Amino acid sequence: MIVATGASGLVSAGDVDIDPTVYLRARKSRKYMGVQDELAVVTAGRALASARLSREELGERAGLFAVIGYIPFDKADIAPVLAASLDGERFSMSRFANGGFQRAHPLLTFRCLPNMPAYHVSVNFDVRGPYYVTYPGAGQVYAAREEACTALAERHVDVAIVFAVAHQRNFLVEHHLSRVEPPVPVSALRDAGACLVLERDESARAAGRTPVLALLELEQRYHPHPPLEEARGELESFVGVSAAPAESRGPAALLCALADAVASGQPGRVEHRLRARDGVEARSAWQVLA
Amino acid sequence: MKRRVAITGMGVVAPNAGNVPEFLDALLSGRSGIGPITVFDPASLPTRIAGEVKQKLPSLLPDRKIAFALEAARQAMEDATRFGTRPGGAGALSLGVGLELFSMDDLAAREHGAGPKLVNRAARLSFMQTPSDLCAHFLSQAHSLTLPPRVHVSACAAGTDALGNAFRMVQSGRAEFALAGGTDSMINPLGVAGFSTLNATSTRNGEPERASRPFDRGRDGFVLGEGAAFLVLEPWEAAVRRGATLHGELVGYGNSLDAHGISEPHPEGRGAAQAMQRALDDAGLSPAEISAINAHGTATPKNDPVETLAIHRVFGEDARRIPVMATKSMVGHLISAAGAVEAVASMVCMNAGWLHPTLNLDDPDPACDLDYVPHTARRMVQSHVLSSSYGFGGHNAAIVLRGAEAARARG
Repeated sequence: MIVATGASGLVSAGDVDIDPTVYLRARKSRKYMGVQDELAVVTAGRALASARLSREELGERAGLFAVIGYIPFDKADIAPVLAASLDGERFSMSRFANGGFQRAHPLLTFRCLPNMPAYHVSVNFDVRGPYYVTYPGAGQVYAAREEACTALAERHVDVAIVFAVAHQRNFLVEHHLSRVEPPVPVSALRDAGACLVLERDESARAAGRTPVLALLELEQRYHPHPPLEEARGELESFVGVSAAPAESRGPAALLCALADAVASGQPGRVEHRLRARDGVEARSAWQVLA
Repeated sequence: MKRRVAITGMGVVAPNAGNVPEFLDALLSGRSGIGPITVFDPASLPTRIAGEVKQKLPSLLPDRKIAFALEAARQAMEDATRFGTRPGGAGALSLGVGLELFSMDDLAAREHGAGPKLVNRAARLSFMQTPSDLCAHFLSQAHSLTLPPRVHVSACAAGTDALGNAFRMVQSGRAEFALAGGTDSMINPLGVAGFSTLNATSTRNGEPERASRPFDRGRDGFVLGEGAAFLVLEPWEAAVRRGATLHGELVGYGNSLDAHGISEPHPEGRGAAQAMQRALDDAGLSPAEISAINAHGTATPKNDPVETLAIHRVFGEDARRIPVMATKSMVGHLISAAGAVEAVASMVCMNAGWLHPTLNLDDPDPACDLDYVPHTARRMVQSHVLSSSYGFGGHNAAIVLRGAEAARARG
């Protein structure tokens, strides 16, 4: 049986400084971190702490299983590039090539890449085992969980760090989600991140760690659909968590809800139902063991 | 009980070929697909060369990698079903895919209140940002794949991770078959300029075909390529029962995280060695049983010596015996598609009894001291090839492929 021994979630309307400094091995690395990277490091750090797992216990026997939101290139990073590349109101390739592209620090590109949250978690917590990095739908969190559980069951890892992050208060992501059908209003979008630490029940107990959450039931389906011919709205609901979100937390929604339930300290059952925009449908039930 | 995993279909769209037979011919004759950038005007960007796909493919959206994926996947499924039946049961897509297409023209238009009218869904989904996961849903729909798609975004390791993940799903019975591969194109202003600012790409603009120089002392960075490749994976027994073409087997997969540098590999090749060792262990093979290696071989100053070191660490005395090929010398670096294209290259060359050459290796770097099969193809009977991919951010992945003859010999 696979159980969670640590959990953490964080939600922001774009107005919270998500400060990862306490977890960084090199403070200067923060300037290369985007919001998704910060959410990943902070929630992983808190989840590992709640599981009472130290960096020294991770290494090659720990794996990362991550779901990342749509790519959030920061407007502040791209604005100087654009400004130096315009000829009137139009983008000029000549101006771009003659200096416009150099207006951004080269490593700042890394702040938006979808594999970077996994990099920052790996380097700051010394995670060197297998990984699975996917994106961007709410249903993909079930794929990450499945890969984590398989890696644990087949003993490729002893600890699986499963996290989901989404920087949605971002101009590119806001733009995209305002144009899909049906559109998601900007006011509903949240930056969100959450992390579960999964272990085999017997090895967690043998190490003196307490299981806090277990999966009871899961059904999943996928409906392949032609994206240009059929628009699918997204429906997501929770039962058993007090803060059922009326907001969009992207792929982090489920893990945020589970982390909230664990944080409440009350044993109980949490149910999740999802009909995702990308055709994934899922229903799961979880037992909070705290 | 783990199942054997057969490869029953292959498809490829690459800078030097539009299908698998053409690809084998191009590889063995050492035909480069690298030339001046034509898909946009690179003006005076430091890098003005790339490995562009030459085929004109019908395109649903401006994002070229979607068209590449649809064509390569079509070829792979057609290959897998050429004798009439299709793999049975629930199928999975496992896709390595590159960054969302984000156009500077669109951004400029939006800043000034312009942009396309929302006349249809294509317009909604292609202005400012075309989400890369769209590609997965086009593919799943086109091939009636009913398991939730696996979309891998582990940068340059994504193609190999996609194959490895699909292998695990079929091996364990979580999927009855899988369409697995990668697609990418970063040959656009932001992509080319982004890599230029990192000094990651070659600026040998005057001689494009000689620019991608893995393991050569004169290498000055990688050359961007574009394209896609897919494999169809299914249980060996099921493939035999339905009379499918048995190209070979995927027998091992391993991946690892460097936990080291954001843009450079671990100096001792720790993560790369770990991924290769895990793939060998997963396959139950010793280093002595590996016939050849298809290296990541980017031709960046940092990658090639570290990769060489990692091969030494894993293969010990066998390292000097095992030939190492670098497909990127002909097609460039296809980023999220690289691992899939190189897996197809490895399979077709192994089954033809050849090693493809590493082009432009005129003056080997002393720190790169293996047999890299320079300049011309070489005859060699092979049973197993290890193919590896290493990504920015320290993502390392490796797979082990078994050729058709060795696979059939196992019964």
